[in-house]
Amino acid sequence: MRRLLLILGNDVRRHLKAPWAIVIFIAIPLLMTGLIGVIFAPRSHSGQLPPIAVLLVDQDKGLASKLILGSFDVDQMKKMFQVTVTDEVDGARRMKRGRASAMVVIPKGFTLDLLEARPTTLRVVKNPSEQFLPDVVEEFMATMGVMLSGAIQAFSEEVKGLRLMLDGPVERIPWETLGPEFGKAQKKIAAAAKYLNPLLIGLKEEETKAAGAKAQSSMTDIFSIILPGMAVMFLLFIVQTLMRDLLSDREDGKLRRMLTTPVRPLEVIGARILGGWVMGVAILLIMVAFGTLVFHVNWGPFGFFLLLVVVAAFWTAAFFALFHALVRNRNQAGALGAPIILAFSLFGGSMMNPEVMPKAFRAVGIVTPNRWFIDGAALVREGRFPLASLIVLLVSGLVLLALAVPTLRRRALV
Amino acid sequence: MLEIKNLTKSYGDVVALDRFSLDLKKGEVLGLLGPNGAGKTTLISILAGTLRDFTGTVTFEGRNLFSDRTLKNRIGIVPQDMAFYDDLNAMDNLLFWGGLYDVPRADLKRRAVEILDLVELAGRAKEPVKNFSGGMKRRLNTAIGLLHKPDLLLLDEPTVGIDVQAKVSILDIIRNVGAAGTAVIFTTHQLAEVETTCSRIAIMDHGRILAQGTFDELIRIVGERDIVEIAGDFAAGAFSEALRDMAGADVELLSVADNLASLAVSDSGRIPRVMDRLFQNKLAVTDLKIQTPGLETVFLKLTGRSLRD
Ligand SMILES: Nc1ncnc2c1ncn2[C@@H]1O[C@H](COP(=O)(O)OP(=O)(O)O)[C@@H](O)[C@H]1O
Ligand SMILES: [Mg+2]
Repeated sequence: MRRLLLILGNDVRRHLKAPWAIVIFIAIPLLMTGLIGVIFAPRSHSGQLPPIAVLLVDQDKGLASKLILGSFDVDQMKKMFQVTVTDEVDGARRMKRGRASAMVVIPKGFTLDLLEARPTTLRVVKNPSEQFLPDVVEEFMATMGVMLSGAIQAFSEEVKGLRLMLDGPVERIPWETLGPEFGKAQKKIAAAAKYLNPLLIGLKEEETKAAGAKAQSSMTDIFSIILPGMAVMFLLFIVQTLMRDLLSDREDGKLRRMLTTPVRPLEVIGARILGGWVMGVAILLIMVAFGTLVFHVNWGPFGFFLLLVVVAAFWTAAFFALFHALVRNRNQAGALGAPIILAFSLFGGSMMNPEVMPKAFRAVGIVTPNRWFIDGAALVREGRFPLASLIVLLVSGLVLLALAVPTLRRRALV
Repeated sequence: MLEIKNLTKSYGDVVALDRFSLDLKKGEVLGLLGPNGAGKTTLISILAGTLRDFTGTVTFEGRNLFSDRTLKNRIGIVPQDMAFYDDLNAMDNLLFWGGLYDVPRADLKRRAVEILDLVELAGRAKEPVKNFSGGMKRRLNTAIGLLHKPDLLLLDEPTVGIDVQAKVSILDIIRNVGAAGTAVIFTTHQLAEVETTCSRIAIMDHGRILAQGTFDELIRIVGERDIVEIAGDFAAGAFSEALRDMAGADVELLSVADNLASLAVSDSGRIPRVMDRLFQNKLAVTDLKIQTPGLETVFLKLTGRSLRD
């Protein structure tokens, strides 16, 4: 037991030393919730802001600049910003005539710099004659920059592989020949993209419905409905990342070295699963705390909700124990992990409002943890005990655990 | 203290260890010399307890080594791979890996400081290991195996892939550990290392020990003869045929291949006569190397091949 705790403590400490991936994964759902707030908040006030005129100069013409351009194309963004794509000369001329609040210049080589984690900046030229609007643009671009470089951090394994293949300018990459590395990253990016868009659309419908039927449906209610789904989705992502040790230690000889000491295989396995569980609970609680403090989310009776959190984190740890017991290597884990989480989240209701979700999705969704967590959270919000969710997650978690432990043990020693 | 008897381990059709037997006494530093694929890592892994499905016995001070988990506290392992956490610093790595053994908490910290000093990493104790050079990583890898003061230390190719200076310092550590009374087995495929570091040398190939003894004892296997390596343009058969009636106690054919042969001669005066004979038989010689006896010659004699990679 002492050794188990030593390994667990060591793992936690290591992950706290390099917290970026985790911080990003915790921050994304919260930032998204915040962004939704920014987008919807003006409407509830009397004087809604007119769209801010922004000039965009894309000197990079790479993957990252396309992402930025694309993000302005989302419906909700169009309400906030009116974007004109132009070149720098023309942009400067328009700025001089006071036709725009700010000009954003995406520098040449921006994508490559991001991929190589070189410091890079988005240049924001503010219109000096305006006081307030240019600052909004600047703030928005800064947030965007943080999210982009954060995404690069979170996807660092794929980026490394991808980077090896990038020798020339981005536009000359033969995308179809990039092979599995890109395939992996693409799946994660697709996961993120799919997660962003349907969520916003789902939310919009929620908003219209609320306006028609129950006029008093507030922002807080919307957060309360959305945050549990996002939290469980990102819990899956984070715990998968954290429990990668099960695999990487096996691959690079650290597990073998551990087993030359008096430590038992079961202690190592136990430490990793317990670690995933404990860290999963901590992460969910951080999200819950932020949700409460920042968005005033109403979770219902806290004891009930805590129980749900503990059981959901247990399920997740058991699931990824089995996942890492079965996959062959790190590449395979990277390639399979995101699609699985994506599928769970899509069918389980993390990506769209359950009420607008197709019936078939809901039927498939009963095999996902997302669905049971979201349904459980909904019950708790109404003050009821989420018995079905707890039983389903606990029992299936125990089954996963019972399958995972012997498999991990068999693979520890050859 | 350590007795290995008839250890046999196969991977499918490949026999990695073939009735391998070895005794080791307290304070002995044994260099286990063998080419790649000889079975060195397999042996160390079995002794370390991470490889199963073998036959044979290993006893440690008369007890079955694998019967009692606590015996692992008395053995230190330095694996061939660098196995530690790159994202932690040297001190934290030592505290973690050392902590997996039954070392009292209070001693652990003190030992870690001592050992960092011993491997000359004291000044870099708080630095993330990922910034270390290859040689520094090797030293840390070694230090981790020493922290719990084992009575038996097993090192698997501890000097692979590092510069000469780092190599010298690792070998120094091994010598000092041995001098302090710890029994050591270290594997290598480099001759110079065992000559200077070990009290005993065992030469192994194809999963078994071919010869063992002190350096001097091993040299005696080939006698005081010079080794002549002849390269040229000839077929193996023709070469053997040409020297057939000369071969005997004075001139021994150690190995003959097409275009390359080596012989042992007890008297260097014989060499011109050998050359003469080759010339008479119209065998073209392009290169001639004469070596006085060393481990290389012993190895050549025992295995019929050179140890070089
Ligand atoms: N996991 C394995 N599976 C199959 N064959 C192996 C495995 N490990 C080692 N071998 C084979 O066993 C023999 C001994 O290998 P090893 O002990 O690693 O030798 P050394 O460390 O002396 O280079 C080699 O022929 C090698 O190919
Ligand atoms: Mg080896």
